[in-house]
Amino acid sequence: MIPQIEIDKNKCPTPYECKKCLQICPQAIFAVAPTKVERFKETAPEDYEVQAVFKDKCVLCMDCVKVCPTGAIKIKVGGR
Amino acid sequence: MCELCEKYGDNGGRWYLNPENYARPLYKKVEKEKEKEPMILTELQGPFYYKPLIELKDNPEAFEKMREGYLKFHETMSGQVVSLEDAEKMVEIAHPIARIDCICRRITRATLEDGEQRPRSCLGLGVGMFRWEEWPERYKGGVEFLSTEEAKEHIEHWHKRGMVITIMTFGTPYIGGICLCDYPDCLAIRMRLDYGIKPFLLKGHQVAKVNYEECTGCGTCVQRCQFGAIKMEVTTKKSNIDMTRCFGCGVCTYACPQDAISLIDREKLPGLKEEW
Ligand code: SF4
Ligand code: SF4
Ligand code: SF4
Ligand code: SF4
Ligand code: SF4
Repeated sequence: MIPQIEIDKNKCPTPYECKKCLQICPQAIFAVAPTKVERFKETAPEDYEVQAVFKDKCVLCMDCVKVCPTGAIKIKVGGR
Repeated sequence: MCELCEKYGDNGGRWYLNPENYARPLYKKVEKEKEKEPMILTELQGPFYYKPLIELKDNPEAFEKMREGYLKFHETMSGQVVSLEDAEKMVEIAHPIARIDCICRRITRATLEDGEQRPRSCLGLGVGMFRWEEWPERYKGGVEFLSTEEAKEHIEHWHKRGMVITIMTFGTPYIGGICLCDYPDCLAIRMRLDYGIKPFLLKGHQVAKVNYEECTGCGTCVQRCQFGAIKMEVTTKKSNIDMTRCFGCGVCTYACPQDAISLIDREKLPGLKEEW
């Protein structure tokens, strides 16, 4: 069963700068990427997003939820 | 012979040693194709793109269908594990060579290789690198052009520390990069091992074999394999390599203090020569 992992973008405006969940997850299930890429321009920190991409490998240890400074991550067991 | 050699090799040679696959006209052709959907987007947002696949895992039928789409996509962006020896031959063909930051690790662990705090690990190849300033987002932290000798040192440095050497195409067969990768942060290794996206990363042209006479069972190699191919056989006190799982990266051969592991040609083993 794949857990439901939601990240509230409003509570996580600049994920690349925080990166706590990305680095703590033992299963490395998160990914952070720019939502737009333009020629001759670096993407602004607000235009990044973190998503629980490889969530099928999540073991529900809840480390990410604990480490998130803004409570942006919600995990529901047995979702979908 | 792997399918890439069959299609793009030079008279039976390895495809990535065929100078044509580094050539400018091919790059131009790829650039034209890219206009449709800038490759830079797929590259930078790779895992977001995989998300639907992962979400479908609870639904085997839909998962398979989606997976086929990815398999198809990776016929244009494909990779293969190469040995140190072959990588050194590659940097003699490729020009220019630029040290760039690793995009996978930036995506999966949010680590930026800016060359100051963290050394860069990826190499970008070919004329496209001269235009790196066009895409500052991709080449965050800048690029550093290397001589052939410096490129060899770079590859050896990371390989001896345990990184797998892989190559990537940007519009197969155009070779765009030599990567130094490990699990789980490398998306190519991950998509191949965990989700079976085979054309994203083919196995290399060699496989590793332990010489039981020489092995002392120290276990060093076991810690190094990024593909989970090595186990310690407790009763015989020797390491055991499952050659059907081995990708032929050669990391274990450099790790072994006894020189007890050697790389042999895949083609010489009838049981493995079709295994890519
Ligand atoms: S619960 Fe644990 S395994 Fe799952 S995403 Fe969070 S840190 Fe990773
Ligand atoms: S730990 Fe929380 S705030 Fe930080 S990047 Fe992750 S989701 Fe965003
Ligand atoms: S393939 Fe390897 S070196 Fe290249 S970007 Fe991915 S992890 Fe980094
Ligand atoms: S067994 Fe050795 S050569 Fe084979 S994949 Fe593992 S480290 Fe690489
Ligand atoms: S590193 Fe060499 S000697 Fe040690 S267990 Fe592996 S093969 Fe044997």
